[in-house]
Amino acid sequence: MRSRRSRQETAFAFAVVALGVGLAIGTALLPSEGGYSGIGPSFMPAMVSAGTIIVGAWLAFEALTGGWRNRSPEDPAARGEHAFLPAAFAWVSAGLLAQMALIGLAGFVLSSALLFACVARGFGSRRALRDAAIGLALALVVYFFFTRALSVNLPAGRLFGG
Amino acid sequence: MAETLAALAHGFGVALAPINLLWGFVGVTLGTAVGVLPGVGPALTIAMLLPLTTKLEPVGAMIMFAGIYYGAMFGGSTTSILLNTPGESATIATTLEGNQMAKRGRAGPALATSAIGSFVAGTLATVALTLLAPQIVELALMFGPAEYFALMVLAFTTVAAVLGGSAARGLTSLSFGLALGLVGIDGQTGQARFAFGVPELLDGIDVVVLAVGLFAVGETLYMAAYTSRMPETLEKLAGSIWMSKRDWARSWKPWLRGTAIGFPFGTIPAGGAEIPTFLSYATERRLARERDEFGKGAIEGVAGPEAANNASSTGALVPLLTLGIPTSATAAIILSAFQQYGISPGPLLFQMQSDLVWGLIASLYIGNVILLILNLPLIGMWVKLLTIPRPLLYAGILVFATLGAYSLHQSAVDLAILYAFGLLGFAMRSFDIPVAPAIIGLILGPLAEVQFRRALAISEGDPTVFFRQPIAATVLAVAAAVVVVPFVLGLARRLKRA
Repeated sequence: MRSRRSRQETAFAFAVVALGVGLAIGTALLPSEGGYSGIGPSFMPAMVSAGTIIVGAWLAFEALTGGWRNRSPEDPAARGEHAFLPAAFAWVSAGLLAQMALIGLAGFVLSSALLFACVARGFGSRRALRDAAIGLALALVVYFFFTRALSVNLPAGRLFGG
Repeated sequence: MAETLAALAHGFGVALAPINLLWGFVGVTLGTAVGVLPGVGPALTIAMLLPLTTKLEPVGAMIMFAGIYYGAMFGGSTTSILLNTPGESATIATTLEGNQMAKRGRAGPALATSAIGSFVAGTLATVALTLLAPQIVELALMFGPAEYFALMVLAFTTVAAVLGGSAARGLTSLSFGLALGLVGIDGQTGQARFAFGVPELLDGIDVVVLAVGLFAVGETLYMAAYTSRMPETLEKLAGSIWMSKRDWARSWKPWLRGTAIGFPFGTIPAGGAEIPTFLSYATERRLARERDEFGKGAIEGVAGPEAANNASSTGALVPLLTLGIPTSATAAIILSAFQQYGISPGPLLFQMQSDLVWGLIASLYIGNVILLILNLPLIGMWVKLLTIPRPLLYAGILVFATLGAYSLHQSAVDLAILYAFGLLGFAMRSFDIPVAPAIIGLILGPLAEVQFRRALAISEGDPTVFFRQPIAATVLAVAAAVVVVPFVLGLARRLKRA
């Protein structure tokens, strides 16, 4: 019975091989005629896809012969960390996805305040209102500084006629 | 020599203009303030502060970058010493003794030897840069595309083979970067590659988005998931920050030795300051009179690696400015900042825009001085930034990270790309895959392709051009050896055992 880590390493290795194969397919669809140099826009992609497949195979070889070399300890405690917290990962991700979805509609300020509150929650804060208020204040300052002082465009939000 | 001095004097004239001096101060202040945040290294600091410089003249912006660069490094050392969390691999050696000194109430002298050592090393390394750069430019003017291509391949393989625990994983990271570098319009034929009809991808993938995605988003995801509930101890900055006579006596030799070790390592593509800082640490440990103090807060163990770190970061500017080849993640970000202004570093830059180059070099000298006079007295203020609660700190970092990506095209697509890189960064971190080769591959891959095709165009398609020219052939042979030799040795060892 192979360990969990060994299965993950094998899966990652095959994902790299698959990436290389995907690149190769994309390369085959590119035109390859080249001018004076005799090589066109498909030459470098061909090289990179070949290289990616080779390193993927190398990773697979290592995974199947005793595992990848010189990894950090598998036990989180030995790395000075705690066990993986799915909820923390999900809160940070949710904040980023929510901002992405809302930035056009609700504008930079509100979507970033939401991002702020979600990330703080992911890091264990339980004071959602306080976090949202701080996030709002920060986003407002950033918004006015960037749009007024630096003339960088940031969306006001369609909800507010932006 | 006289020519160099005249150019440098002219550079000082540029850099000492009040407005440029102001940008230098702003850069050092911002760089330190962001660099001191735990988990934020110099590469990420520069990437996150890049949008702030969009309104500046190129010279002012470059001078501000020099300030940010030095400020970020000093900020990182502060965090390593007081919090025991190195922002990047180059300051791990500093944490070993620095945090022990802080635990014993000697945080002040630790920070002081780090700041003064960085000043000494940064200044000496800049002198070396001033003397060395014109020589390399002379040499580089004779290089053709084949030589450039060979040098870039060497940079790829050494960075991939040297960083992290294994060449296989370094090369995996490199191939990610090279693959991302293919995305967008091929500059020579106008052919779109791997853009999938997404307009935001036609411009290619921005190095800053990749760096911010891997370093800021990926790291934040990783820390939330694995370290957010770990207790932390911030060491207090009590007592005098000044070094005693004995501290000075024990520090000055490590500063000089650290500089001597760091600078040459910076100029070759050895993946940044990780190796020279550990070499310096090992050297000081061997030479120290109070050897049993090592592990319990020996000041030599802070002075040496800190000097090595700064000297090697300055050394990295030699290949960047004279050849246009970045040898560390931070240098890759600086190169992309140059490109944003339409400046391509290389020997021609020294001839065409000597104002800018020598203004930048002069501002390195000035940046070192600003760092010393600004940061030691203000150290208490920077330390306050470390008391911001973790949840608020990382929430704020992500707001700035997304802001930078969004402002590229004013498009939510860039936020999606940023998140995708965040997930990639999380996976790479979880699988112990170094991220620097990916960043260098992304920026250097397209440049290498241009040189490769140019070389073949000149030779009318004859591929032996890379082997007929002695410099190119030698460099390519070294590049191949870097990857193949350790692999073959490992295989031989296995066969012997079996």
